[in-house]
Amino acid sequence: MNIFIVIPFRNEKKHIGLVVKGISKYKLPVVLVDDGSIDNPNLRFKNVTLLTHKINLGKGAAMKTGADYAIAAGADAIIFMDGDNQHMPGDLPKFIKHLESGGCDVVLGSRNYSYGVPLIRFLGNKFASVVLAILFGIYVSDVLCGFKALTKKAYQKIRWDSTGYGVETEMVARIGKTKLNFCEVTVQSIYHDKVKGVTILDAVGIMGEIIKWRFTI
Amino acid sequence: MIIGLQIIALIFAFSMVYFVVLHFKRGEISKSEIVSWIIMWAAAIVIIVFPELLRKFASTFLVTRVFDLMVIAGFILVISLVTSSYIRTKKLEKKLEDMVRREALKKSK
Repeated sequence: MNIFIVIPFRNEKKHIGLVVKGISKYKLPVVLVDDGSIDNPNLRFKNVTLLTHKINLGKGAAMKTGADYAIAAGADAIIFMDGDNQHMPGDLPKFIKHLESGGCDVVLGSRNYSYGVPLIRFLGNKFASVVLAILFGIYVSDVLCGFKALTKKAYQKIRWDSTGYGVETEMVARIGKTKLNFCEVTVQSIYHDKVKGVTILDAVGIMGEIIKWRFTI
Repeated sequence: MIIGLQIIALIFAFSMVYFVVLHFKRGEISKSEIVSWIIMWAAAIVIIVFPELLRKFASTFLVTRVFDLMVIAGFILVISLVTSSYIRTKKLEKKLEDMVRREALKKSK
């Protein structure tokens, strides 16, 4: 199975090199998507494809650019990781195993609370899980985890519209709507930067979007 | 309508005329747009100076005060402008997203 790793990032000069180094031992094709970084990353990696958004569009748009590239380059499945080095490359085999076994169209990472997820994010996440379960009939324990994998078929079915952080939630909503097979794997997560990621304002916007998706997806 | 409020409304209307002309001189709006805006603000100035002109119109819609009618009309105008502006922004965002993503895929290294 031809599995690509897609990593969207913005202003991660400090971490992106570590992420690439960490996953290099798995010998999988890697696609980095620079979503309009302003920290002048000037990246040069061997055997890594770098796509650059000239301006910042958001995580969802960067993931879509990376996934479109991977599919066009012959990927059968895509694993998404965050570019801030919060995910452990050691968890990759769990995703690969599920994809190769063919039992799941989508493999979702689920962060364990004991691995250091801040309380407010944990509570917000659980709230989103319950809302999605009620509106879309799908319960996912960690909706906002960026570590996930999709087969080509799944990507084509749930190709999202969200350009920002709403992408994770929209993906789950679409998985629920299209009844794709999914499984969850526990992953470790280390927060290096507490000011980045989904803010409370983003969360309020995403809640509004969830209601919209209930009627539009 | 009290005189003080009329003065404030006139200052606002003339300021808006000034901004419309300024944007036209900078080439940011077209001739037809400046004409539409000037007509709209000229009408607003006439109504501010002679609010009685609207009294008959207001009673037709069972609105007792001319001021109330102007507030209602203002709300309708603002809501329609915000809606059209939202739709235009969404369209523009989509076009920009498509362009940036297409460029990124074209220039993959």
